[in-house]
Amino acid sequence: MINFSFDGKTYQAEKGDTLAAALLRNGIGLVGRSFKYHRPRGIMTAGVEEPNALVTIGDGGRTEPNTRATDVFVYEGLVAKSQNRWPNLSFDIGSVFGLAAPVLSAGFYYKTFFGSAKRWMIYEYFIRKAAGLGNAPTKTDPDHFSQRAAFCDVLVVGAGPAGLSAALEAAEAGKRAILVEQDNILCASLIRDGQDRDGAWVESTQARIRAAGGRILTRTTASGYWEHDLVTLTQRIAEPGQIPLHGVAQRLWHVRAGQVILATGSIERPMAFAHNDRPGVMLSQAVRTYVRRFGVVPGKRVVIATNNDDAYKTAYALKAAGAEVVAILDARPAPAGADSGLPVYNNAVPLSTNGARHCLKSVTARINGLTQSWNADLIAVSGGFTPVVHLHMQAGGTLDWNDAAQAFVPAASRQNVTTIGGAANPDPVFNVVPVSKPKKSFIDFQNDVTLSDVDLAWAEGYRSVEHLKRYTTLGMATDQGKLSNMAALGRLAEKQGVAIPEAGLTTFRPPYTPVTMGLLAGAGAKDAGAHVRRLALYDVHAAKNPIWQPLGYWFRPRAYPAGNETLAQAAMREAKAVRSNVGMTDVSTLAKFEVSGPDAAAFLEIICATTVGKLAVGRGRYTFMLREDGFVFDDGTVWRLDENRYLLTSSTGGADRMATHISYVRQYLCPHLRVSAVNVQEHYAGIAVAGPQAKAALAALIGEEPPRHMSTVPAMISGVPVIVLAASYSGERAFEIYVEASHAGPVWAACEAEVTKQGGALYGLEAMEFLRIEKGHLVVGGEVDGRMTPHDLALDKMLNKAGGYVGASGLSRPALSEAGRRQLVGLEAIEGNIPEGAMLITGEGASPQGHVSAAAFRILDGGSIALGQLTDGFARHGEELIATSPTRGQMARVRVVAPHFYDTAGERYRD
Amino acid sequence: MTDVTITVLPAAPLHALEIWSNPTAVAARFKKAAGFALPAIGRSDGNDALRLIRYEPTVWLVEGDVSALPGLLADDGALTAIGGSVVRVQLSGKGWRTLLMEGGVFDAESPNFASGCSAATIIDHVNVRLHVVDDDICHAYVPLSYSEAMIHFWKTAALSLTL
Repeated sequence: MINFSFDGKTYQAEKGDTLAAALLRNGIGLVGRSFKYHRPRGIMTAGVEEPNALVTIGDGGRTEPNTRATDVFVYEGLVAKSQNRWPNLSFDIGSVFGLAAPVLSAGFYYKTFFGSAKRWMIYEYFIRKAAGLGNAPTKTDPDHFSQRAAFCDVLVVGAGPAGLSAALEAAEAGKRAILVEQDNILCASLIRDGQDRDGAWVESTQARIRAAGGRILTRTTASGYWEHDLVTLTQRIAEPGQIPLHGVAQRLWHVRAGQVILATGSIERPMAFAHNDRPGVMLSQAVRTYVRRFGVVPGKRVVIATNNDDAYKTAYALKAAGAEVVAILDARPAPAGADSGLPVYNNAVPLSTNGARHCLKSVTARINGLTQSWNADLIAVSGGFTPVVHLHMQAGGTLDWNDAAQAFVPAASRQNVTTIGGAANPDPVFNVVPVSKPKKSFIDFQNDVTLSDVDLAWAEGYRSVEHLKRYTTLGMATDQGKLSNMAALGRLAEKQGVAIPEAGLTTFRPPYTPVTMGLLAGAGAKDAGAHVRRLALYDVHAAKNPIWQPLGYWFRPRAYPAGNETLAQAAMREAKAVRSNVGMTDVSTLAKFEVSGPDAAAFLEIICATTVGKLAVGRGRYTFMLREDGFVFDDGTVWRLDENRYLLTSSTGGADRMATHISYVRQYLCPHLRVSAVNVQEHYAGIAVAGPQAKAALAALIGEEPPRHMSTVPAMISGVPVIVLAASYSGERAFEIYVEASHAGPVWAACEAEVTKQGGALYGLEAMEFLRIEKGHLVVGGEVDGRMTPHDLALDKMLNKAGGYVGASGLSRPALSEAGRRQLVGLEAIEGNIPEGAMLITGEGASPQGHVSAAAFRILDGGSIALGQLTDGFARHGEELIATSPTRGQMARVRVVAPHFYDTAGERYRD
Repeated sequence: MTDVTITVLPAAPLHALEIWSNPTAVAARFKKAAGFALPAIGRSDGNDALRLIRYEPTVWLVEGDVSALPGLLADDGALTAIGGSVVRVQLSGKGWRTLLMEGGVFDAESPNFASGCSAATIIDHVNVRLHVVDDDICHAYVPLSYSEAMIHFWKTAALSLTL
């Protein structure tokens, strides 16, 4: 026996029991409360289509609400709780809503809760308290989710007899075959239908499929069918709430199949009659499943209501199990066949049920126009069979109407999918038109939609099935209308006076059954979805306990606080070290491309909007790049390392975009050039050394005179070859040292030792931001925001006058150099500190004329400064404006100035 | 029990070899010098001293001693060092194919992906290049910045491969 608990009480289950079977085994019929009216609900089905028996499984972060009790297998220690009830399941205050059902009909919210948005905020609180399903867990899920790809020639969905046979045939034909089954055993329908003598066949067939190389996945649901025969499978490795072996709870498979065979069977339909949602009302095949598969008899006195032959099997099963079948209500006018020895009533349909203490007490039926009642504790209903066509429709397939079965069946598909078995050939049934009072005749059990709701929607003018669905919420619950859609269509067709196929059909969309959000996130569920890129010198930085900052896909040190320094204090100290002495920082993440070949310069003059060809060996220059529409999208430096070899650097955040751009130019615009452009972003780690003492520090490191500004030399540091670029982002004399990443450690250590010796400090991104703002250097994503041309950024004088670069044509459009454009400006605070991101306005109530892209403080002199974009900004130097950030309640008076606050002549670069 | 072992291989000189002109002549010169042909798309070839994996139409990843290659390429191509950007990871054991399906989009379980084959693919958002050494060993070339994360990902995934 297996111990589990339900609402705090411990029970025993048999091995292999679903929670539903275990609850029935322990005599528990009341399992939940309905979504809207809090009506008592029990177990209706034995499969994934269950609309009523929704429970919360597990504790803490493993809590899984709204789990179908029919779709979880009991394990030792399973904890289940009923939901949407207070104070307890049996006595639920919320059931008062049932009394108000006449006024809570379809469209209630639309008709009642109108008025101002503020009033809705009040309504919403009470609505959310009153209605709903389970509560989402508040703790982090401790488990992991895996995602795996698979490829096969044939994917078979559904391991009933048809699916098992199809998989065997494919596997033994030498095809790569995958068979998936949402249950934990194969061919459960054979057990249900008393054909378990075929168990040996099932076992041997499984063995043959595996021997032929086929893969069989149980507890796996094909949840979505996408383009190009991509099918997603949801595999439960652990049951809901269960501690998984090795931490992986579920796996999402992405299967690319050459052919998909759907052997998905059908779902039995309920019938619409008054109080058909009461505990003790079950589907016929479900009753048979509990009796034959689980050895549980859900009732002692049973009424069976049917419009087909299949329900008779349930009667035999119940009788064999010792239950009394008191009546078979067969809607068909004549006996189905030979005398079964059962109390069969033809032309008989159920009208209503009565109950007490949440149990079924009696069933009333109309038989040949007369009314008759039976005491009973269970009614097993079978209203026919709805083929599971969800995946077929998701694949873009169409449906045909099968009049004999009163069901839609799969027709043509634009993908390579075939449906076999019961889903393609459902059993014939007799069409039954509901005769009960519609107000308590439920068709969508999960959303509490009755026949009268459909009637009301029709009366109020909702003609389209899509409108009706949304107005009544029919089919929009977590079961996606698996039991309800056909009943609603039947009612709508009846109202329209047309046949069901003419009434229309809603669309089936993935997922077939609910999918845990964590599964969609996969292994990255706890890590923002993707890995964080790690610096080559990560361990070196981590040892200094910096404040980290995400930048692009990277994490970089933002500052290295000493003692109890705040971020701002640390960053300002670091920036002052650079301005007054020397600092060093890690610039490894900058994009870097090595461009080689006789046509390298020509290639770069297409990529870059500045001239490159005249660059002497050993020299470099600032450059920027345009999109084809003429707007600046990145900037950097280009260095001539050798006669035919250049190094191009660009921004960290734009690195991938730049790689794509270079590839585009190489492959599409210039396939004829003799050039190789290789992404070496990660090959080189980069160290920047900046400040008045940088030259002295570098001279000590390389043992020779450092290169002059915008020059480059190869050198050795600590026996490791490096490339030294004399370039400055900080506004000070500075050098970037590039070293093969795998050898970066000793070079960093040597640099740090020398900088420390000079009395300098490490600096992070925050100090770098202060320094570059003060100097007026651009940052991609800030000043370069995709809307600025070289003219707007005052870079136009650097453009290659010969043209020929990407974006030259776009840039020639007159609108890009007309008056009225936003232009780069500097801003000095007159009063207050300038808020980053603030709007620039001329006075209160005026329209924004620009914004602040970056703000900082003067490093040595104090005072708030910023860079910004301002309409016609070049001509407005000296003008006073207001920088306002209403969302933060911050404001400053500012003066427009040139965007350079420090060493405007660039004298500090020169020796 | 899973049958895959994840091992980080020592750093090795790696280069990108690109040919932009006269590919037939370069291929002939290469074969004469190296003793084996430049591998075709999706293939790798080589020996203990030099191995090439073709991963773009005109680009090969070169592992080993490249001292003879610049002269051989002349003005028809270039060789660029990229060894600092790549971590080589060896996946060994019968389970390496299944492991590569975790977070993957490439059919590493195909019997056609056999010894001497190579591929460039995405695994758990990371661009990885693969080279099948033999039935029991596959080498993966992982970007340095993602290598810690990928190795952790693989080691974690390896624990649950057979579930």
